[in-house]
Amino acid sequence: MRDEQQLDRVPPAEPPAVPDPDHDPSGRRQFLKKLGGSAALAVTGAAAVTSLQAEPEANEQVEPDVQYGMLIDLRRCIGCQACSIACKSEAYLPLGVFCNGTASTEKGHYPHVSRSFLPRLCNHCSTPHCTRVCPTGATYKRPQDGIVVVDQGICIGCLYCAQACPYTVRFLNPVTRFADKCDFCAHRVSQGVVPSCVNTCQGRARIFGDLNDPESEISKMIATNPVTVLRRAMGTEPNVYYIDVDFADENLKRPGEYVRVTTHQGSRKKRG
Amino acid sequence: MWTWPIYGYLFLAGTGAGATAISAVVLMRGAGGAFGPRYFDVARLGAMIGPLPVIIGTGFLIFELGRPFRAFNIMTSNFWFMPLNPSPMNFGGWMLLPFGIFGVLYMFCFMPWSRWLPGVRGNLLDAWSTKLRGPLAMIMVPLSVATAIYTAVLLGAVPARPLWNSPVMWALFTVSAFSTGIAAIMLGQRLTYRANGDREAERHFHNSGYALTVADLVLIAFELMIIALFFMAAYFSYGDVRYAIQVFLSGGEMAGLFWVGLVGIGLLVPFCIEAFFVLRKMRTGSFRVPYAVEIVTPLAILVGGFILRYVIVIGGQITGPVGL
Repeated sequence: MRDEQQLDRVPPAEPPAVPDPDHDPSGRRQFLKKLGGSAALAVTGAAAVTSLQAEPEANEQVEPDVQYGMLIDLRRCIGCQACSIACKSEAYLPLGVFCNGTASTEKGHYPHVSRSFLPRLCNHCSTPHCTRVCPTGATYKRPQDGIVVVDQGICIGCLYCAQACPYTVRFLNPVTRFADKCDFCAHRVSQGVVPSCVNTCQGRARIFGDLNDPESEISKMIATNPVTVLRRAMGTEPNVYYIDVDFADENLKRPGEYVRVTTHQGSRKKRG
Repeated sequence: MWTWPIYGYLFLAGTGAGATAISAVVLMRGAGGAFGPRYFDVARLGAMIGPLPVIIGTGFLIFELGRPFRAFNIMTSNFWFMPLNPSPMNFGGWMLLPFGIFGVLYMFCFMPWSRWLPGVRGNLLDAWSTKLRGPLAMIMVPLSVATAIYTAVLLGAVPARPLWNSPVMWALFTVSAFSTGIAAIMLGQRLTYRANGDREAERHFHNSGYALTVADLVLIAFELMIIALFFMAAYFSYGDVRYAIQVFLSGGEMAGLFWVGLVGIGLLVPFCIEAFFVLRKMRTGSFRVPYAVEIVTPLAILVGGFILRYVIVIGGQITGPVGL
């Protein structure tokens, strides 16, 4: 099945082209929807209470029709960093910042040693923490395809989203001066092409597709393989899945155990 | 990484909001309160000290943005439906804007207008000031309390920073804001008071110093208690919070600064000094504190307040959720 994957496989659903007509930074539409809900409450009384309670809160995300996701099969990852470079050239990222960085973990004592890799990118979570702290509404989850994007016309670069992200994948773009992150190559995906990192992956470790479509390759792979997500306990419901992650952690190692994790955020003295 | 503009803002805004709140409360309480006839001087000191640091700190925040000229997007991109945006920064913007406006007005109400502008205009401004002071004080109390609380809400709203994401931290920042605000007023009172041989005025000066010291003593005691509770809760927790608290435990990156700088110099030393003089006043009835002590104690509290902001902001960012 894996070898049949086409390099430029067209994703199953055709999302609308950017700019996004559904962007609602001020919550006006949701507010109007709520007003409508309150009016219904006044008219129909108790019967409407349950329907109103079932309605999602403002800023909480509604389930998108298409939820793009990624599955990274680390059994096929060789840590070549081609995805990091393809991402940087695709997104015109300056030196020192990464939308997609590949961490590597070394562990064990000779001769019982191993090395594993972990490409990290935005998880395009179903309940993102970054969007709910954004003071301007510049970052939001696109309702048509579930991609979390930053509206560069509104973002003020306060980096509150970078504090709120449990995956530390947000950063201040030093050239454009606003918060930047992986957007699943929304410009490519909206034209029916897979993201740049998927396209370039030498080991074909990355699968991109619609998680809501049970017939898509990614859904089938997730259903038929033991998959994990990163930091499930943070409650973000991430949409980037991994096969065969080594969860060895420098902070949780036993005495005498050797674990060393090298990341692109190495210059930042940060645990976890 | 949030660095000096953030903890600079947290310190300046906490101190300023605390001083403004104390000033407004003292003004509303009037001469019948603990400060007696000196109430107006204390209220004026707080009004002079309070609003400017908050405005300067807000300037830091704007400077820290990637795009400072878009700062008003915080409010304007959500202007009509503000309650629907739950971001604490949005709340803070709506808090700081009226605080800046009313705070400056409140400060102007204590200016000696008729001395600066002799004649009709000065007298008119003085009359307006007298009339506006009371209503403005009533507005400033909730505004400055909210500003003091907001400094902690900003940090506490992110689960990805386990050290910040704790209600105890919010209480700690709020109490510290009032404590440093009182310290700033104490320092200002000592520096502006000139003894002119009037025994009655000197007695009132010592009385107001005693009232401020007692209030500060209680707040520092609360602060120590909150820190103890925070450590207990975090130490006996597990996972993210337990690993985050290790920056303050023995061998942690921030342990020295936290225990020596904050708990030692910032809290225990001023607590002991203040407790000594307050207890002596209870026993002997006189509250005469040496000049140097009256300068050093508030300074230590202010330094401690700054160190608190520093260790929490930096310590929260060098710790994160553990595990991949």
